[in-house]
Amino acid sequence: MGYKNGGSFTNIVLFSILVIIAAAFLSALSGIVKMLIIAALLAYILDPIANFLESRSMSRTSATITIFAFFVALGTIIYLLLFPLLWEEMASLKDGFHPEEAGDIVSRLENFLVANLSFLGVKELHLMEKLQNSMAHAGDWFISHFVDAATVITSLILIPFIVFFLIKDGREFQKAFVGIMPNRYFEFTLFLFHKLNTQIGNFLRGQFIDATIIGVLSIFAMWIIGIKYFFLIGVFAGLANLIPYFGPVTGCLLAVVVSILQTGEFQMAFYVIIAYAFIQLLDNVLIQPIVVARNVHMNPLTVLLAVLVGGKLFGIIGMLLSVPLAGFMKVVVSEGILNYRKYGIGRA
Amino acid sequence: MNRLWENFFRMRHKQKDEIETILAGIPIFQDLNQRELRTIKLILHQREYRSDEVIFNEGDIGLGMYIIEKGNVCITCRADGHILAELKEGDFFGELALLDESPRSASAVAKTPTRMLCFFKPALIDLIERSPGLGSKILFKLAWTIGERLKSMNEQVKELRSGVQPDKIKEVKK
Repeated sequence: MGYKNGGSFTNIVLFSILVIIAAAFLSALSGIVKMLIIAALLAYILDPIANFLESRSMSRTSATITIFAFFVALGTIIYLLLFPLLWEEMASLKDGFHPEEAGDIVSRLENFLVANLSFLGVKELHLMEKLQNSMAHAGDWFISHFVDAATVITSLILIPFIVFFLIKDGREFQKAFVGIMPNRYFEFTLFLFHKLNTQIGNFLRGQFIDATIIGVLSIFAMWIIGIKYFFLIGVFAGLANLIPYFGPVTGCLLAVVVSILQTGEFQMAFYVIIAYAFIQLLDNVLIQPIVVARNVHMNPLTVLLAVLVGGKLFGIIGMLLSVPLAGFMKVVVSEGILNYRKYGIGRA
Repeated sequence: MNRLWENFFRMRHKQKDEIETILAGIPIFQDLNQRELRTIKLILHQREYRSDEVIFNEGDIGLGMYIIEKGNVCITCRADGHILAELKEGDFFGELALLDESPRSASAVAKTPTRMLCFFKPALIDLIERSPGLGSKILFKLAWTIGERLKSMNEQVKELRSGVQPDKIKEVKK
């Protein structure tokens, strides 16, 4: 019997060309793409909550509105309760940094390093000069990334807007996307969606919970040690924990620098390092195995490279998004190859 | 003008009813009420196949079941091209893939221009999560359907065993 198959080599070539054109188009719109990716990840994290509310006899729209109402309420409470604390810390951060005092501490640190590490060839470090340079660069970076009010406001309005519709109509979007696939590949496309939903979805939700726990533990630990700006440092440590390898070290480093600048001694820094080592141990031994689904098995070198490439291309946001995106690509490629070999996808 | 719109809406309504009627005839959905059938209808994918177009090949990844809304489908064995079954409007196949992800055990080919309704595992899992009552009803009937198929297969094996003479088995062994 002369059966016809929906797919052919020409179709694959045409599809690949379309993908390349789409990728080029998307990279040209990198700002919007970044926003869409963030919105999609947030929708992924919140989707099970909407499902849970639906299982309690709510419609999808009511469930989505309830989630948004909860986050608006939570935002208001945080604004009312924690904003004064945050404001106080910001103000003291602004006032607390006296150039003379800091210069004194830095020169003491330089003397200490030169005295103790002379065997390594450490002679003149010019730390103050380097610090001033990096502060100037940090200022430029901060202005270019955060003070661009138009971008911040657009993102703050557009991201929740996109998240709302992705949660409410995500199923319809997915169905419409699968609907345009040729008959030959449509079941495989659905299979890929299914794998991505189970593997990346669980991974993202786990990472989100993990970062929250690490943030709370860091705030608590820094408060006990008596470090200034403990709330800001804890929030930063929680967020930084989302970036593998570099994140936890950066979180700890910030706390160490603040503790040295605060006391001018290394005793508090030692306690900070102990606290972060303990938090990391707790994270690796207890929290991650429980909350982070280890479904996306990725080689540590791949993760490292993904973080570096993400950082190089899109900065901190790129570092944050690199692991889930690498996981996404890993699932697509590995399932594609596996099914090509095992089940004969694309077989004539 | 009004009559035109009335006819248009009546046609759409009729088409909706047709799908629900087909669904009500499928054992897996037999216990569902009108509202639940409407929920199922919303999550189904509708696909159209040309005559002689492959729906899936033996050995392909299987993710769910197909219900024939219109047309005819042949289930064939790849090894010898032997036709295992010919299915018509209202029939369904591939329901085992709702439970496991093993490769398809036979090929399915549209014999005439065919419209299919497809019910897949991710949709079933999603349904169990957001509507556990409806999900359990479907799972129960799915288990019942597979049980019935197993019983019928056991009967066929028994018949085959009783029909084959012991001396013929010896001949086959030789």
